[in-house]
Amino acid sequence: MTAAPDNTATPELDPTRVRFLSPDTCHIHLGTHDALHVTVENDRIYGGVYAAYAFPVAYPEGYISLIHVGDEEEMEIGVIRDLAEFPQAAARLVHEALARRYFVHTITRIRHMGWKYGFVAMDVETDKGSASFLMPWRHDRATDYGRHGKILIDVDNNRYLVPDLRKLAARELSEFQRYIYW
Amino acid sequence: MSDGRSALLNCLIPEDLAALLVREGVDPSRAWLSAETDLNLTGSYEHVFLLVEPDRLLTAGRPQGRGHGPVRVDLPREVIKEVRTRQGVGGGFIEVLVEGVYVEVLAFSNARADLFHKAAAKLKAWVAGEPVTVGPDDDYNPRKCPKCGMTLEFKGDICRRCVDRGAVLSRVLRLMQPYAGWAALMFGVLLVSIGLLMVPPRLTGILVDQVIAPKTEAAAAVPAATRELWLLYLVAALVAILILRAVCDSINGRLSSFVGTQVTSTMRETVLARLTRLSVDYYDRHSVGQLISRAGYDTAAFNDLVRQVTHGFLAQILVVAITGAMLFSLSWKLALWTLLPAPLVILASTFYWRRVYPRYFRVWDAHSRLMNSLNSILSGIRVVKAFGQEKREENRFGQSSRYVRDSARRVEYATSLFNPTMALIFGLGGPIVWYIGGRQVIRQEGLSLGNLVAFLAYLGMFYAPLTQMTQLTDWLTRFFTAAQRTFEILDTAPQIVEAAQPKVLASPEGAIRFDNVTFGYDRHEPIIRGVSFEVRPGEHIGIVGKSGSGKTTLINLVARFYDVDEGRVLIDGTDVHDADIDGLRRAIGVVLQEPFLFRGTIYDNITYGRRDASPEQVLAAAKAANAHAFIMRHPLGYDTYIGERGAGLSGGERQRISIARAILYDPKILILDEATSNVDTESELLIQQSLVRVTAGRTTIAIAHRLSTLKNSDRVLVVDKGRVVEQGSHEELLAVGGLYYRLVKIQTELSRESSVDSLSLRKP
Repeated sequence: MTAAPDNTATPELDPTRVRFLSPDTCHIHLGTHDALHVTVENDRIYGGVYAAYAFPVAYPEGYISLIHVGDEEEMEIGVIRDLAEFPQAAARLVHEALARRYFVHTITRIRHMGWKYGFVAMDVETDKGSASFLMPWRHDRATDYGRHGKILIDVDNNRYLVPDLRKLAARELSEFQRYIYW
Repeated sequence: MSDGRSALLNCLIPEDLAALLVREGVDPSRAWLSAETDLNLTGSYEHVFLLVEPDRLLTAGRPQGRGHGPVRVDLPREVIKEVRTRQGVGGGFIEVLVEGVYVEVLAFSNARADLFHKAAAKLKAWVAGEPVTVGPDDDYNPRKCPKCGMTLEFKGDICRRCVDRGAVLSRVLRLMQPYAGWAALMFGVLLVSIGLLMVPPRLTGILVDQVIAPKTEAAAAVPAATRELWLLYLVAALVAILILRAVCDSINGRLSSFVGTQVTSTMRETVLARLTRLSVDYYDRHSVGQLISRAGYDTAAFNDLVRQVTHGFLAQILVVAITGAMLFSLSWKLALWTLLPAPLVILASTFYWRRVYPRYFRVWDAHSRLMNSLNSILSGIRVVKAFGQEKREENRFGQSSRYVRDSARRVEYATSLFNPTMALIFGLGGPIVWYIGGRQVIRQEGLSLGNLVAFLAYLGMFYAPLTQMTQLTDWLTRFFTAAQRTFEILDTAPQIVEAAQPKVLASPEGAIRFDNVTFGYDRHEPIIRGVSFEVRPGEHIGIVGKSGSGKTTLINLVARFYDVDEGRVLIDGTDVHDADIDGLRRAIGVVLQEPFLFRGTIYDNITYGRRDASPEQVLAAAKAANAHAFIMRHPLGYDTYIGERGAGLSGGERQRISIARAILYDPKILILDEATSNVDTESELLIQQSLVRVTAGRTTIAIAHRLSTLKNSDRVLVVDKGRVVEQGSHEELLAVGGLYYRLVKIQTELSRESSVDSLSLRKP
């Protein structure tokens, strides 16, 4: 579908209420130049939409906000309560949009950790391949992800996720906690 | 379009890809801008190239499967109406406006964010038909080390990879240099003390072999009365040595205390001086609890260092070395047996350093968290009670407490295993000496009973400090941890650095100009975007806007709490970046929403910015701030002592004291940041009255949510999403019927305090 977005008929949404989107009332599709579009019943076609998690840790498959960015204004079109309710094709488009927005490496194995130039040097396996990076040894560069995970942010602000420390091998966990003790 | 070439924005396209592009009718050499990104539009790593020809924009990468070409995006310039970057999480995008829709054309990870923000700026100009150049200057990135290319934490930061690093220890020694004289004296006394310690075993050997149980015939022939006299002399000598040693140790104790407390005191003050000079952004990144711990407790480690060096471990090392020499002089064969445990010691220590050492950080952090937790519970006890969350807070504190317990146990369990193990290893030396040495005495193999007794006495001296020295690693660990954390603060460079030759704002007029200013606390997310406006000297400006629109950020930039990313902020025509910081801050007075008062008297707080103010000036300032009357109701008047953060005063009273402080400071530019937000109506009226007096003749910038407080402003700037979207007088803005009108309308409808918040709302 390559419907052109309709910018003329935007009913004023109540900013104090959440509009939940369901497959009955909204259609998620590609439009102009393969940009993500959302057509909402009794509303309009929104072009150039991105998706964002409301609860990325607690509910990664639900409560996904679809946001339209106009010239300046960001506007939430609505929130998908459960992506599984949507047709597969629509769910895939939302997943792709999320994958584009969240560029995060998920660490699957820690090969080595050490201390270099006052940084924590890490050599890891991630879902995006092997990676070696330096992380400033500060609290704000290794923040909690849920109760048992950590997000590491390297010198370039790239993000590396350990979803659950308990799932690391004993040696890896011991090495990890030796440096990232908080 | 460019003279020289930029390595980053005129990057070379790999030959194989270039050949594929040529086959598709794309000539890479036509591109005036070419840059390589590291992500494709599905969010996976891939080398993708942005190519911008004079009349079109392309992205290209190696074909992904059959039927795919190298070109990913191909857009003629005329269809692109706008270009922008959008930040994702961990990366971002370049988007172009085509047919009314913003389309993502390129993705980049944060490692390339600076490059593509720069590229996007050039594309904007290209789309607008403005002249654009790309050259070697574009390769300069103040956030990259020019030597090794590593990303720096902030502009102008020192590259840790390239910096000349000295060991913590050598740095500690440098710190101790001013006390070198005292150290020499302490060392001299220490040597005397250790020398005295070596004498008694020798005397004991003589006592045994010559006096009590003479081993030679000549000695045995000496009359008993004479030997008794020698016994008396030798025992007297032993007592004298004990007394002398006690005197030496006492002198050394005093000296080390004197130097140690002095070093700690100096270090504490140095750390605090550094903390007060660090830019505001440092406090955005660090919790106050942790900094308190570092400045308060970690610096005490330097006192311990002096004590240990002069009284503890250095003394132990010397004792070990000298006793070792004595042992070898008595019997080198026997001495060699006593060294058997040495390899085990080295192995155990290595294990300790590698495995146990880093866990001390965890204990420290756990303590710090516990204190933060306690602080927040007690500070917010009213909220806790109001929401009935006592049990929850108890549980949370319990969790933190158990975490401290567990992390401390983990370290202490390891050390409690390590230390006795080391003691056991050393203890094995005693039985070895008794057996080997005893056999030599029995067989008369050159070792006398007196020498064996002396050897065993020296062995006790040798092993005792060695046993204690196994704690050296323990102590060193704690010391280096604390020292490193202290140095971390000392090594942090303030982001706001004064110009090499700062311009002095001698008698500022108070003119302010924002010249196309862009700024973000996070380098990729601007809060202020291309803002330009001017404020004339003495003008009263109100700033309004929604929460998070950038109002407070604007005034942070005036005071240069942060440096702008682009553009300039000028005071009286001088870029604040070039102005002397003290003069700049002297020209600006701030009254905040949450007035911060320090522990001390009301007088101290009013004169905080001007210690030289006379009582008459203080009274006048308080009177002008409508504070005098309530101050005088206190029995001790201006000498009333107020607690932390102004405890004991109401919000309105605290605010009026802070206004009196600002009046006394007499700044040319006065910034009022929601100065009346947190006070009751009566207090607000009193504060408003005082502000009329305070602001007379000063350039005033007032941020307010209550728009009624701004209706007398000469001009109101309406800020939205980091831009000044409207400006004019209250009436002019109402007539426009824009955002300001909407805000006034909402507030007038909501306000029940007609006497204060009512505004005449005319239909535009």
